[in-house]
Formats: sequence, structure tokens, C-alpha cells
Amino acid sequence: MLIFDQLKKGDPHLRTLTLVILTGLAVLLAGLWWVQIVSARDYQESLETQSFRTVRIPAVRGRILDRNGNVLAENRPAYNISLYLEELDRPFKNAYSNEVWEVRAELKQQSAQMEAKLGRKLNKQERKQLALTTAQKALLREKARYEVVSNVVLQVSRRLDRPLTVDPTDFERHYETRLALPYPVLRDLDATNIARFEEQSTSPLGVDLEVQSTRVYPHQTLAAHLLGSLRRDDSSAEGEEAFFSFRLPDFRGAFGIEYAFDKALRGMAGAKSVEVNNMGYRTTENVWSPAEPGSDVVLTLDLAIQQAAERALQSTPVTYTGPVRGAVVVMDVWTGDILALASSPAFNPNDALLPHLPPAELERRENEVLRPIFNRATQGSYFPGSVFKLVVGLAALDAGLDPNETFVVAPNPEMPSRGAIWVGPAHHKIRDLAPPGEYNFTRALYKSSNSYFITNGLRIGPERIVRMAQRFHLGEKIGLFTRQESSGFLPSLSRLSSGWSEGNTANLSIGQDPVMVTPLQVAVLTSAIANGGKVLWPRLVAQVEPEQASADQDPERFPPGRVRDQLGVSQRILSIVHQAMLADTEAPDGTGVGAARECPGLRICGKTGTAQIQNENNVKTGQTTWFASFAPYEKPRWAVVVMVEDGISGPSCSFVAGKIYRAILDSQRNSPRKNDTMANARLTQ
Amino acid sequence: MFDASLNEHQRTLDRLQLAALGALMLIGCAFIYSATMVNNVPSLPWYSQSWFRQIVWYTLGIAAAIAVCLVDYRRVARWSLALYWLSILPLIAVLIPHIGTTHGWGAMRWIDLGYFQFQPSEFAKLTFILALAHFLSCPQDELRHAPNFLKALGLLLLPFLLILREPDLGSALVLLPTGLMMLYVAGVPKRFLLQLVGGVGVLGALFLVGVLFAPPNWQIFKMQDYQRRRLLVYFDQEYAPPGAPKAERERLRKQQFDDSHNVRQALISVGSGGLMGKGWRQGTQNALGYLPRAVAHNDFIFSVIAEEKGFVGSVTVLMLYGAVLFTGIRIASQARDRLGRLLAVGVVTLLFSHVFINIGMNIRIMPVTGVPLPLLSYGGSSVLGSLIAMGLLQNVYIYRKAY
Repeated sequence: MLIFDQLKKGDPHLRTLTLVILTGLAVLLAGLWWVQIVSARDYQESLETQSFRTVRIPAVRGRILDRNGNVLAENRPAYNISLYLEELDRPFKNAYSNEVWEVRAELKQQSAQMEAKLGRKLNKQERKQLALTTAQKALLREKARYEVVSNVVLQVSRRLDRPLTVDPTDFERHYETRLALPYPVLRDLDATNIARFEEQSTSPLGVDLEVQSTRVYPHQTLAAHLLGSLRRDDSSAEGEEAFFSFRLPDFRGAFGIEYAFDKALRGMAGAKSVEVNNMGYRTTENVWSPAEPGSDVVLTLDLAIQQAAERALQSTPVTYTGPVRGAVVVMDVWTGDILALASSPAFNPNDALLPHLPPAELERRENEVLRPIFNRATQGSYFPGSVFKLVVGLAALDAGLDPNETFVVAPNPEMPSRGAIWVGPAHHKIRDLAPPGEYNFTRALYKSSNSYFITNGLRIGPERIVRMAQRFHLGEKIGLFTRQESSGFLPSLSRLSSGWSEGNTANLSIGQDPVMVTPLQVAVLTSAIANGGKVLWPRLVAQVEPEQASADQDPERFPPGRVRDQLGVSQRILSIVHQAMLADTEAPDGTGVGAARECPGLRICGKTGTAQIQNENNVKTGQTTWFASFAPYEKPRWAVVVMVEDGISGPSCSFVAGKIYRAILDSQRNSPRKNDTMANARLTQ
Repeated sequence: MFDASLNEHQRTLDRLQLAALGALMLIGCAFIYSATMVNNVPSLPWYSQSWFRQIVWYTLGIAAAIAVCLVDYRRVARWSLALYWLSILPLIAVLIPHIGTTHGWGAMRWIDLGYFQFQPSEFAKLTFILALAHFLSCPQDELRHAPNFLKALGLLLLPFLLILREPDLGSALVLLPTGLMMLYVAGVPKRFLLQLVGGVGVLGALFLVGVLFAPPNWQIFKMQDYQRRRLLVYFDQEYAPPGAPKAERERLRKQQFDDSHNVRQALISVGSGGLMGKGWRQGTQNALGYLPRAVAHNDFIFSVIAEEKGFVGSVTVLMLYGAVLFTGIRIASQARDRLGRLLAVGVVTLLFSHVFINIGMNIRIMPVTGVPLPLLSYGGSSVLGSLIAMGLLQNVYIYRKAY
């Protein structure tokens, strides 16, 4: 062979040459083997790190629907005008060379002047001083870039006929840190501007429309507290790829259903890789895991009832100017479905998508009294006032109180038209709104006689009252996962055995300090009385439906009518209470006549309440007014609870409930089949 | 080979070598195309593009090689001294401002001839081989005299120093092994050679120590800053002298990172090619501009080949060069006289030095010096010089010993 011929021949000089070349080629071969075979993987990795950037693509968030499929939260495309910087590479370079040319010309002039002044050529040191430094060049590049970009933006601005500006620091930050992504110039164009932008066939260089999905709540503030709100959060969720070079804007639920069902709604973020060149500009893109859209969450809410409830609540007369502060809960007494959950004042969840809140809105949100973010229906703890007499009454009847036994309310000496009662060793006087005279259970309940219930409360003792309240699970959280829940308060049995006075029992008997409840707890309580003693778990979410495209998995369903506890009170006693509650709206001097007046034709059972709020010096600072009710009397279906902070009185709340019942009946009448079949289909599937 | 000696009819050209050269030229054309046609919309007309210009140079080079073959190398050698001095002239001229051009690279290596930038060192390498071979082809006894040895050394040193002055360290350095190997094969006494090698070794060692370890103002050898930095990059030495302030150290580190960019990217290109490569025109290092466009098609063409054709491609290139080199040695062994033998040895050593330095630089076993890869790198002077050298080899073969 060629090589061995040379080695064999008796020519020592050429043999040496052959050996030298052979060794050299062997060294190269070994080197290539090392680089291309042994370390190939390392070099492939460094190639990827330097030329690929990964981008997290958020998934399209699932919708939130009401029980009939009406949309409460969905997504719409948002069009952004974006600059694709890689297309501006050449203009950047041209602008830069112009800048440099100008500066160089100036420097040349300076050096010519200096030479003229010194009368000699400049030496190396002096020339160096007049040359451009690296830092100066970098500044010129930045300036050139900004010039090009603001020119392009000016063209866009002319086309849209609206002024647009680019913030130099913002742009430079984007250029330095997110070069591989387009630079957004104008976010979320409206339809007119999209049309204006698109009507000319050619866009300015490097400018294009970019679509992103944005959350939208079409009914604005409707059920805002229950739906909750989003906050900007681009971070990776559990089970997702954790390392990305860039993340596109994404949101997480901050509270409400958006928070509680965030995992289902959010879906699975996808990922794409962007190939970048040595300058960091984007060259190609490759989506290697597409985003999986989130699931839809179907609430038990009924849009029409929710709307009616919010409207009715807004119309409540109050003792102050400004928006009504209160809450309404509408619950199905058999299934525990929450048909409406309103809290006022409300906020607009769409605001969370704004880059900044308007200052007036920010101020409103931080207002200590308004607290618009606060969900009064589930988060607010209030004294139940006379509404608690339902619990006391049940406890007393259960302990053997004869409902027909006559009780005489003594007149208040200072106000002879009203009654009063003297409690405890100190004979502390408690006023009664009910007039003096003879009372049986029914009359005592609908006239809300303090004297009657305090007397009977003292008779049976606080322990029986607390035990009855415990069966309703007052003072306990329901566990809503919406970050908006308060447990209320109920004194423990051990608390009763030490330092508990008759005065305390008297207060407890009329729903004052220390017992506290949330409107939702009152709705559960009322439903339990209405449905014959089943304390239900309220249901907010009917099911979680995977997005249509990937509907191979079954929706996750939450069963209706889950019983939390049984009251263990006889039906006879419950029907006594039902009749007494019916009398509250139907007796001409009942406190809840407003309900019957607003909704004629429906027999409503109700109980008003007005709880006093006092400061530490026993001076009245406000009141909480209530109306807890269910209907129809013959075959209970719905419970409606209205709570208004500083309302005029409990009776005024009964009008609100009446309006809501009317709306419920209307929605039943307008589409009885649809509502029933749809609801039943969803609920019984 | 046996046929050649036994048959009446002698083959007139070394066909194996020609085939290898042809293959190398095809590869060169294909990968210059790949390295320069990265954008689908070419900005230049086809006849001005690098791949086509390279074909033009190949054609011109082949024509020149044929012309060289037409005349017996012994007749060419008679003119060797004249040619030698003729090529020294542009080496001097290139150092004169306004004649030499820096090509924007900071070194005066080119003479601008309009269509073509002429690089005189490429031709000086050839005339040097011719002149040295002619000088050393005298009877071997005469080489025992020291003055003759010194004269031979003078022939080497003159172009060496001139090219070093441009500065073009790489082109100057390839002259050293070429000259040494020719002296050795010519039969110069061993002690002379040992002294020469020792001297060069000591100088080289001093030079490296000076560059790498001496404080800046102690440097004995005047070197361009960029050359010093390239060597520091090669030896992985920090730029910053010990005890430099932190900010300065940071700045120099960043600069070092930038300076080692080409080497690092070349290595990534070669390494990421793996066994089979990414396919012709599928390499990303060059397309995305990590491997600088300015050098991808000339000094770093091997990186492009290695990335796109992998280890298989690199080894193919290596084997083709091997074929050219070993047929060259065979030609040397068959040469009819000492002149032919020395010529062949000179050309083979020169070619080998280029290949070793260039490929070595792509895989970081040699420092970065602007040495082209013969026939593959883009560049008129280099292609012409290489093909004329091959013509000389074939010439020696044509007029070889008649057995």
C-alpha cells in the first residue's frame, strides 16, 4: 500500500517524513474523534443553550358558566401591535452607521482644529482621546435603535390616527432581556383600530398584529365576589416545565372560584422554542408542547336570579348615602345549590386585566367602610339578631315548650307602647320592640318579642340553645376554598360553664353578642328548617367540564343535596315554626309583610332581624338588618336570605326578598321547562 | 506501480493524486456554497458569489498547474533564484502603505488588484521551495560546509521575516517545517540541523514565556496585541496580570470571552456535527451567524464541513489529504534527481503544515492563525498557490526516473 511502501523502502529520509505526516494525521484523527464522537453531546448541548430560547405559552383559561350554560367568565382575543425586532436588524445597523459617521465627522473636525492650534500632527495618545470608545459606541447603538423604533411607531401612530410613544427605557429593557420576543407597542386594540391597521395592505417594516387570549367577564360586576379575580403570575405551575427563558403574560386566580378552581381552569401551559442567531434575534419558532386549554367550571348559580338578587339588593333603603352594603343568598332548600350569591358593593373583575387601576377605583377598594372586595355573603360575620330566635324557638319547643302557652309582655315604663324585660340579679332592663300584651309562640315569633324568647331562653338554659345552634353548624366554616370565608362565632359549651351570666343568655336568646353568623350560614339554617331538618352542604359548583376538544375524560361532578347533619327535631315542631314564619309575612301586623306584598301569590315563610351593634361603652354604632325566608310554604323550594348593614330595619329587608321571589317565579314562568330540564340534566347526569 | 516499471508505456500523471485533488475541489466548492448561501435570497449575482469565484480560481489554478507541467522542472529550477527575488519584491511592497491593503483586518497581507486581492506570501512560499530545492540540489558534499548551510538558512529567513512583519504569523511559521524538512532530506549534517532545531526551540520557548508570563512592559518580542491575545486564548491563560483591579479583571475576562468566540464556536460546530453531521446546508452554527460569516468560508471552512457531515465527513477530508500527501512522498521517492526529490518533499511538507495547522485550529489543538486549508478554503491566492504546487509535484512525477 501507499504508506507501507514508503516505510519499507530503504530511504530513511522519506521514511521519517512519512512517519511525521502519519503522526500528524493520527493526532488530527484522534482530536476529531474526541471532539465529534466522545464530546459530541456536550457540544450539542452548548449549541442548544446558545441558539435556543424556550418560551412558556399560557393555556386558554376555562370558562365559568352558570347552571344553564350562560357565560359568566370567558376569554376573548386581544390584538396587540408588536414589533418584530429581528426584521429591524438592518435598519438598526444603518441608523447606527449614520450615527457613527456623524460623530466621526465631528471628531475629525475637532482633531483638525487641535492640529491647527498645536501646529503639529496629533500624537497617538491625543488621537486615542478623540476616538470612539466602546461605551460610546454602545450608547450610539442604543440611540440608533430607539430612533428606528420610534420612527416605525410614528408610522403606526399615523395609521391609527392616535398618538403613540415608546418609552426608551422600557424598550431598551426589552431589547436587552427579551430580544427573541416581539416588542408590544400597543396592547388590546379595539375593533376600529384593528380595522384601521389592517385596511392598508402593507404594514410598516417589522410591525404586525399579535393575538393573545384575555379574560373577560361579560356581566362586569355580576357575581364578582363569587367569581373572584385574577392576578398576573407567569410562573410555572406544579407538574409543568420549570425552566423557561421567557414567559408570556399569564394569570392566576387570586380568590373566588378563579382561585378555588384555578388548577382546572388554568389548563396546562405549553412551550415553544425560538431559535435565535448570534445577535439574539429570532429566526424560527417551534412549538414542542402545545398548551392544553383549561376546563369549564359550571356553577350552581342562576344568572337571572343572581341579576334579580343584585338589583333588589341595590334598591334597599338604607340609613346612609352611598352604595348599599349588604348580601343576598338564594339557596335551593333540597339540593343546597346556591342560586344567587350577591354582595354589595362590588368590584369589576375585568379591572384585574388592566395594567393599572384608576386612582379613584384604587381609593374605593381601600375604603374601610365600603370594602368592595369583601364578600359579605360568606366572609362577613354579623350578629344574627332576631333571626336567631328561630334557633332559640326550636330549642325551646324541643325542650317541651307549649306553643299555645300564653305569655304576657310587660310594658316599658319609659315607652308604654313597647314592652320590656328585666334580666338577672341586677334587673337589667332589655327593651322589646313588640308591644306589651299576650303572646303565644306564633305571635311571639312574628312580632319578634324579645321578652318571650329571653324568658324561654332562660328557662331552657344556654346549653340547649348552643347545642341546637351546633346542629346547624353555626360557628363553623363550610370549607369553600374561595379564600372568602368566615366561620362566624358560637360560644363553646365549656364557655357556658364559667363566667356565663343570665345577661349573656338573654343576649344569646335574641341573637346578640356573642353569637355571629354569615349570610350563607343563615341560608343553610333556613333551608334546614324548610326541608324538614336536613342541614346541607351548600353547593357552588355543579361540575368541571373538560374543554370540548379533549372531552375524552368525563366531567368531574359534585353531587347535590349532600347532607351535613340532621336537626333531629320532630316534623310537628318544624311545622309549628313554618306556620309562625308564614304568619310573619301574612299576618297584617307581621314584621315580614313586605315579602308577601312584593310577591303576591307565593306563600313565603320568613323571619326578620335587627341586630344592634354597640361599641365598648354600650353606645349603639349601627345595626345589621336581616330577613331569612323560604318559599313556597306548601312545598318549600327556595331559601332567600337578605342582610343589609345599617339597613332601616328587618322589615325593610323583607321587601328585597319579596322582589327576589318574584324574579324567581318569573324566571320559572318564562322558561320553566328549560330551567328545569337543563338544571336537572346537569344535576342528575 | 509495478506496471509502471514493467510496461513500456509509462503513465504520465499520478492519477490517484489527481482524483484526490479533484474530490477536494468538489468538496471545497460545495461547502463554500453552503457556508455563503445561508440566505435564500442571494444579494449578489451568481457570477460574483464565492462558490463561483472559487470555481474560477480552480480553473485558473488547473490551467497554471498544466502550464507548470509543460516545462521540465529542471528548466524551471534554473529560474528559481530570479523567481525567488521576484516574489520577495511584493513581500516588501505589501509593507508599504497605499500599496499593501489590510483588507480591514489590521495586517498588511494583500495587494489590491481590483477584482482580486493578491496575497504575495502564498507565492513566496512556492518560490522559496523552488529556490531552496535548487540550492540544496548541489552535490551533497558541499552541504557539509557551514557557509552553504548558512546561505540556505538565509533563503529561509528572508521571506520568513518579511511575512512575519506583515504580520502573518501562520504563513511565516509554515516555512519553518518546510525548510527544515528539505534541509534534512537534502542530507545536511545532523549537527547543523540539531543546532538549528535547538536554536529555534530555545527562541520559541523564550517567546512563549515572554508572551504568557512576562509583565507587559518587559516583553522582548514585539507582538501585535491581537496575536498575543490569540496565544493567551490558546493556552487558556488569563489576560489580566495577577493583582489587576477587579473591574479591570472583569473587563479583560469579557474581552477574553469575546476573543475566544471564534475558537469556541468552531469547536461547537465541529462537536455538534457528531458522527454523521446535520446534512449539507443544514448546519445552524454558520446559518445563525455564531460562526462568523467572514471566516466561515475561508479559515473555518473545516468547521462547516465537520458540522454538516460529521466525523465521517472530517475523516473523508483527512483521508483525501492523506492520499495527496502520501502520493507526494511516493513521487519524491521516484524523482529522477535530488532537485525533484527536494521539490516534492518541500511541497508535501508545506501542504501538510497547512492542513495540520488549519484543522488543528478548528479543534483547538493549534492556536488561531490565518492559515487557509489548501483547496477547501475560499481564496484566490491560496487556491492558485496550492494548485501550482500540485503542478510542480506532477511535473516531478512526469519527469521521474525511467526504470
